[in-house]
Amino acid sequence: MELSIAGAGARLGGRWVVDGIDATPPPGALTGLLGPNGAGKTTLLRLVAGILQPGAGAVLVSDPGADDAAPTLPVHTLARRDRARHVALLEQSSDAAVPLSVREVVALGRIPYRTLWGTDTGAGAVDRALVAASAAHLADRPWSTLSGGERQRVHIARALAQEPSLLLLDEPTNHLDVSAQLALLGFVRGLGVTTVAALHDLNLAAAYCEHVLVLSDGRLATAGPPAEVLTPALVRDVYGVDAHVLSHPVTGRPVIAYSPPGTEDA
Amino acid sequence: MPTSDAPPAPAAAPGVPTAPGAATGPRAPLRPPLALLVGTGVAALVLTLLVAVTIGPADLAVGEVVRSVLAHLGLREPDVPRLHDAIVWDLRLPRVVTAAAVGAGLAVAGAVMQSLTRNPLADPYLLGLSSGASLGAVAVLVLGVGLLLPVAAFAGALLALVATLTLARTGGTLTPTRAVLAGLAVSQLAAAATSFVIFWTATGDSYREILSWLMGSLAGATWTSATIAGVALAVVGTVVLLASGRLDAFAFGDTAAAALGVDVDRTRWAMMTLVALLTGAMVAVSGAIGFVGLVLPHAVSVVTGPAHRRLLPVAALAGAVLLVWADTLARTVFDPRELPVGIVTALIGVPVFAVLLRRGRGAAWS
Repeated sequence: MELSIAGAGARLGGRWVVDGIDATPPPGALTGLLGPNGAGKTTLLRLVAGILQPGAGAVLVSDPGADDAAPTLPVHTLARRDRARHVALLEQSSDAAVPLSVREVVALGRIPYRTLWGTDTGAGAVDRALVAASAAHLADRPWSTLSGGERQRVHIARALAQEPSLLLLDEPTNHLDVSAQLALLGFVRGLGVTTVAALHDLNLAAAYCEHVLVLSDGRLATAGPPAEVLTPALVRDVYGVDAHVLSHPVTGRPVIAYSPPGTEDA
Repeated sequence: MPTSDAPPAPAAAPGVPTAPGAATGPRAPLRPPLALLVGTGVAALVLTLLVAVTIGPADLAVGEVVRSVLAHLGLREPDVPRLHDAIVWDLRLPRVVTAAAVGAGLAVAGAVMQSLTRNPLADPYLLGLSSGASLGAVAVLVLGVGLLLPVAAFAGALLALVATLTLARTGGTLTPTRAVLAGLAVSQLAAAATSFVIFWTATGDSYREILSWLMGSLAGATWTSATIAGVALAVVGTVVLLASGRLDAFAFGDTAAAALGVDVDRTRWAMMTLVALLTGAMVAVSGAIGFVGLVLPHAVSVVTGPAHRRLLPVAALAGAVLLVWADTLARTVFDPRELPVGIVTALIGVPVFAVLLRRGRGAAWS
């Protein structure tokens, strides 16, 4: 699904938390959403998901009926159920209030496809999502007994059960160990679905994202391929940290080496 | 960084590897088929109704009850002695049917409130709706306001709900603990006001009347009561059952529900209004009965799982059976004296609640 953010802004509690964002994440690829805490990443994801009304501008998506069409429809005007069949959002660290099994958690992603009588219109979608997210072996486990990495994998399966053409992830690598972080982003990138993921780790973004959007104080600081965007000047401006940008010895992608405060002139 | 992670190779991106030993681990309990659970529940309810009607000072047989009911439904010639027929049809059956409808309604109301507020302690009694409904009903009865009793009880329940949620939100976010504390305050206030109104105006046995509104009693049940409770249950029950997918979507919170296509605010207010309506109808015929709405959804979900399409009908049937037996105990144990039925539901509900807490289902109950 093609996506275009056109001057979008959102006001929460009388303050513009996100303001005047113009960006076109590449379709079918992984876009990283970067920025310090409080820069507006979660709010922008909620705008793109269509669950927050923009106070200004709009987020435009392709007509869900024709996935390759140019983005012309404001996402918040889509009918809620239709939107939920095309756009999936994974929040940060969400937990269940009730004792669910993993299969039941993934089946929640099928709610937008249920008929009035509760039958699912797409047989086998839950199993396909479990297999795609490599979570099939967890299907019969109680949700409450999963580790952090397993939970994140099941959340991904729940999002995939929505059969989305636009996938939005809010800090999906939080609480994961290094190998699980790499595996998750590699997997998401391999889906070929237009994906926007808020990330804290600039090196992960540099290694996996085709495109990055950098937010600073609610505004878009810069956007583009990581190799062009992630410069020492940007890290300095946005995060207030001195850094050197090196080149990965094998992949050639940028690697950011931070300088602890006070060591830069040494 | 492995070479396969070079940018132009999305097709070769690795799947998430399986963690070693992850396949072994605790398994979620098996869920029996819904048809089996509902079938068992319906059979238990029919048996309960027939047997409960035979219990009481006058000795009746199940066969007499069946014949009397069939005769009144016009399905056979009346042949039960007139006195027994009157005991069945005019005295005991309306009371037993009302108890069943009220029990089912309270269980449904509790289940819906627990899901919408993501609060395992939400229940019409604990959050003050029942006391609010009692106050509304008593005010109309005593002050002679020209308003139908169930309508007044509904208004009382709705006011109490708004008061509880407003109080709980004051100066903070709506956490389960704050909701229960606010509910406690509203419920105590409404109960005190109810007692005061009765105490001030009643001429006869005001204590008994106060008790029956605050702890519940089905002693005054008639076919009108059964109709009020039954219609409210049928209407609200059907709507919430059709909305069970939307209720399921709240499992991971409001944002997750919105992302699944649910209109969160409208759904919450519509459902809460329906719960207030149901509570109002139940309280208008039986007073405020505790523990059924709190305990039954948890106990039933151990078997059905939390999916509402399974949970709601089974909880309704279990609530009906439970309250019929609780009321049967309330009217027979100290015969000819009657206990408020809330004492019996508390005696049954508290141990069940303790068992559920011990079983560790309290993980999310913080």
